[in-house]
Amino acid sequence: MGGVVESVVRSRAVVAAAVVAPGLWPAWPLFVSGDPTVAADPGKYLLHHLGFTASVVLVVVLLLSPLRAVLPRWRPLQLAQRHRRFVGVSACAYAALHVVMHFIYEGGFGTFRTDWQKPFILVGLVAFAILLVLAATSVDAAVSALGARRWKWLHRLVYVAAALVCYHQISARKVFPEQVLWIFGPLVVLELVRIARAFGARRAAATRDIS
Amino acid sequence: MHIRIPRDWELPESAATPEAAAHAHRAGRRGFLRALGAGLAGATVGPLVRAATGGFPSAPHADYPAGDLKVTPEELATSYNNFYEFGTGKGDPVVAANRGWKTEPWTVHLAGEINNPGSWDVNDLIARLGGLEQRVYRHRCVEAWSMVIPWDGFPLARLVALAEPKAGAKFLRFVSFNDPSSAPGQREPVLDWPYVEGLRLDEATHELAFIATGMYGKPIPNQNGAPLRLVVPWKYGFKGIKSIVRIEFTSRQPRSSWQQMAPGEYGFYANVNPTVDHPRWSQASERIIGGGFFSGKQPTLMFNGYERQVASLYEGLDLRRNY
Repeated sequence: MGGVVESVVRSRAVVAAAVVAPGLWPAWPLFVSGDPTVAADPGKYLLHHLGFTASVVLVVVLLLSPLRAVLPRWRPLQLAQRHRRFVGVSACAYAALHVVMHFIYEGGFGTFRTDWQKPFILVGLVAFAILLVLAATSVDAAVSALGARRWKWLHRLVYVAAALVCYHQISARKVFPEQVLWIFGPLVVLELVRIARAFGARRAAATRDIS
Repeated sequence: MHIRIPRDWELPESAATPEAAAHAHRAGRRGFLRALGAGLAGATVGPLVRAATGGFPSAPHADYPAGDLKVTPEELATSYNNFYEFGTGKGDPVVAANRGWKTEPWTVHLAGEINNPGSWDVNDLIARLGGLEQRVYRHRCVEAWSMVIPWDGFPLARLVALAEPKAGAKFLRFVSFNDPSSAPGQREPVLDWPYVEGLRLDEATHELAFIATGMYGKPIPNQNGAPLRLVVPWKYGFKGIKSIVRIEFTSRQPRSSWQQMAPGEYGFYANVNPTVDHPRWSQASERIIGGGFFSGKQPTLMFNGYERQVASLYEGLDLRRNY
């Protein structure tokens, strides 16, 4: 059983399929089931679906590090680490599709004239710009060019991007969207656990030094 | 000399209402006169079928035909809904509002600064007010999408006349139902339930202000606000409170649910205005529901296209501050 799970987690094809599948999902309500709430405004549905998918994929890749801190010995989690770059770049790709869909939906780049005055759109665009920089520097050559230390600091900007995406999602709606809680909630909880542990470890180390 | 200025929703003779429809309209007027007569004679209107189906078929109103407006497909207007009592997703109400929520029989209470307070069964009320007429109105949501809907109902002014407002009555306060056991959204603190809306008395008696008990020639579906809802086509859709149980005539301006929730974003007036944006998005244009992927956007009109009819209500009012 464990072997099956491990080979699934190890497989690039399986992970690629899992990442691409949500992008293909809209074909179902649009062309097969004919959901009228989707047909009412198909452009908006696609726009929201792509943004939603981008944020979920982003959170999934961000969960890997804190999960490993909590479950350091769980083998499938160790194997999953190898897909981090692919999943992270996929999040950026979904964000790019979301941004492109925004301009298609609004009928061209002219919408940018007023977009930048809307905090929620501006914040979304800043988050996207961060993801673009991180995706562009995700190649091995960038790591060696920047040096591992600086590269790591640069890529910590992903947490800023996640916070901005969270704000972007909340402020796009008339009322607080519950989905934000179950998308970002687990990440926040796990990060808090990780921070608390790191803090505890530092204190333990400090105590050792004194004694 | 009598100079007749055609109002801009009126159509040229070439687009006159078909004869059958015109007959139906006159029949509706006769029904109104009959009901009025019955009321004057002091007779009570007899019990009707206990469902919010009274008054059908409705009589198309000659002043509010579809004309050049492209009516939204019924399937979309009855499945793409904002009715937060049944969930915040557009597709939630069509499911959740049809899981046993009872909208008949239904009683509406008239109260406050009026000479004629009381409780009315919806069907009795429809009969008392002269039956139903059909009007095709634009519908503009504050979320920047729009529909065109044929509503069946009666002018709100008739209900106001029935209530007989006293001199102190300046506003109407509408209250929706409150039943968390039937309405899952009311178990969440999304808004301060029950939903409340308000109008100035002169807005309520404007000829465009309408109470709908049907749409597309049929009783209004639960998800659209059965059995009766407010329709004020020059205002954003959220002013159109659904499933009304109480109408109070007050001396002070009521506070509406959205105003209470976010006073910086939703005002008492909520008039459609392409020059005053929502703080977070533009109101300059709107998406036509059912318009497809690329062709479904149009500029939003001042007062949603009813500027000539309603602008005089707001003379001297700073619309930028009184959004």
